[in-house]
Amino acid sequence: MKRSFDAIVIGAGPAGSSAALTLAKAGLDVALLERGSYPGEKNMFGGVLHRLTALEEHFPEFWNQAPLERHIVKKSLTFLTEESSFNVNFDTQASDRTPYNGYTVYRPRFDRWLADEAVKAGAKLYCGCTVEDLLKDGARITGVKVMRDGGEIKAPVVIAADGVLSFTAKKAGLRRPAFDPAQMAVGVKALIDLPKEVIDDRFGLVRDQGASNELVGCTQGVRGGGFLYTNYDSLSIGLVMHLGSLSESGKTPYDLLNAFMEQPQMAKLLKGGKLLEYSAHLVPEGGYDMIPETHGDGILVAGDAAALCIVTGLNLEGINLATHSGMLAGKAAIEAHQRKDFSKQSLSCYRRMLENSYVMQDLKLYRRTPHMLHNDRIYTQYPELLCGIMDEIYRIDGTPKDTMTKLLMRAVKEKIGLKNMLADVYSGWRAL
Amino acid sequence: MKINVDEIFDVTSFNIDREPHIVLDTQVCVGCDQRGCTNSCPARCYTWSEEDQKMTFVYDGCLECGTCYVVCRQNAFTRWSYPRGGFGVSFRMT
Ligand SMILES: Cc1cc2nc3c(=O)[nH]c(=O)nc-3n(C[C@H](O)[C@H](O)[C@H](O)COP(=O)(O)OP(=O)(O)OC[C@H]3O[C@@H](n4cnc5c(N)ncnc54)[C@H](O)[C@@H]3O)c2cc1C
Ligand code: SF4
Ligand code: SF4
Repeated sequence: MKRSFDAIVIGAGPAGSSAALTLAKAGLDVALLERGSYPGEKNMFGGVLHRLTALEEHFPEFWNQAPLERHIVKKSLTFLTEESSFNVNFDTQASDRTPYNGYTVYRPRFDRWLADEAVKAGAKLYCGCTVEDLLKDGARITGVKVMRDGGEIKAPVVIAADGVLSFTAKKAGLRRPAFDPAQMAVGVKALIDLPKEVIDDRFGLVRDQGASNELVGCTQGVRGGGFLYTNYDSLSIGLVMHLGSLSESGKTPYDLLNAFMEQPQMAKLLKGGKLLEYSAHLVPEGGYDMIPETHGDGILVAGDAAALCIVTGLNLEGINLATHSGMLAGKAAIEAHQRKDFSKQSLSCYRRMLENSYVMQDLKLYRRTPHMLHNDRIYTQYPELLCGIMDEIYRIDGTPKDTMTKLLMRAVKEKIGLKNMLADVYSGWRAL
Repeated sequence: MKINVDEIFDVTSFNIDREPHIVLDTQVCVGCDQRGCTNSCPARCYTWSEEDQKMTFVYDGCLECGTCYVVCRQNAFTRWSYPRGGFGVSFRMT
């Protein structure tokens, strides 16, 4: 294939399809290149789509148009030990009304739908098309070379939305050539088949209501956490683990996931389920400090490719930031076309738009979080502390009980140390 | 219900390319002091034999996650790319 377009978007994930949709709606001739046989074929994630305000601009009743599973009404955080769990729940009627605050989705379905919407708006989608290299004129990016037939596609502006490893951002010299394992996490996930009625019963849900649960203490000391989300008639369960910590631990992701699924309280929720699919993917979780250069001569970087992801342990936000940054990249490319200037200087309007949006502002707000999460006490000692205290409060064994204060102080001293605890509370407070 | 990575093909679909997308210089692995790839790879594509002092790498069940690419600090890859379009792992509903 040898052709030229007004713009090329690499990767039909949420970032790429949002960029292509924006460009196509403005009447520009845009090519959307995806390496999978269909958009979403290569993409996995935990499972919760947070509210996508950027897409609501294009789809006013988003929840009636996108292929969604359940809308989240219950959110919980669980501290887990080998045999007990301590749960904090948030349940609100407000989440049961439109506009919903979040949904569960399957990526192969959702990504395909969004890419199809871009196509309906006029974008040209090429699947099975892996970009191998960038075409350059000096330092300026002028197009891409695809792996299939060595074909070349030209455009004055290229949007790199090729996900976490972004080989194109690397080839453009925008990101560091090697990643730091301390800034990356790997997620593994099992999809478990269960009838809708069983899920409704076990999680206390009706209609299309859904539940999301984040868990700490399920990784045998490896930095990271677990998740459990309800789809319409399946459950998504998995672990997200810091790569540096996992690699040093000598433990394997699948053994840890198996142990997590066999923990007694988890096993009860999964009982009778059948394993449908096993998948894995990286998460850029270094936060603000990991963001590469977001633009260069003839190129813009959006979504995970630009490390726009927020991981706090309470939430994992990626798709909302990806769609928003993708739309802004599209808008920046449209402005560049109006100016007929695709230089780095001209494309810096993208950076300004990002800075003015919640994307960069939230990333800045959570700048200290990745550092706070590098605290090994979170992953074993705190869950043990909480479950231990609860056990003492509820257990009746004929001995007199301590006052709450005494109980707490003793447990803190034994498990964590008072100084550590105060330091952790302080850094946690600053980071969140 | 248990994940058995040795039977990964029972639960996850693949269209395996004869041309490998990851090529490893296993000589480098002999001198590696960490071998984080062997335990971190979610599909167990790397196996180190202490007895033979030899690394075996199989790309068939590769989930294309990128873990090995980030974890390896020795630049042991002569090639690390995604598979050609249409090949590799295929997620249906994840
Ligand atoms: C385990 C896990 C759990 C997560 N949980 C959540 C969650 O609950 N909620 C949430 O909002 N986010 C979550 N995320 C983050 C979220 O998945 C990402 O932030 C989001 O997918 C980023 O979108 P993107 O479009 O930038 O990249 P991607 O979705 O990765 O899309 C990139 C696309 O580019 C294609 N591509 C790559 N290279 C090439 C190439 N050379 N040529 C052509 N095409 C190419 C890929 O096939 C892919 O389709 C999670 C991530 C993981 C791994
Ligand atoms: S980390 Fe790199 S060099 Fe070491 S064993 Fe693994 S692939 Fe080989
Ligand atoms: S990309 Fe992931 S699944 Fe494939 S070999 Fe590397 S670590 Fe294993």
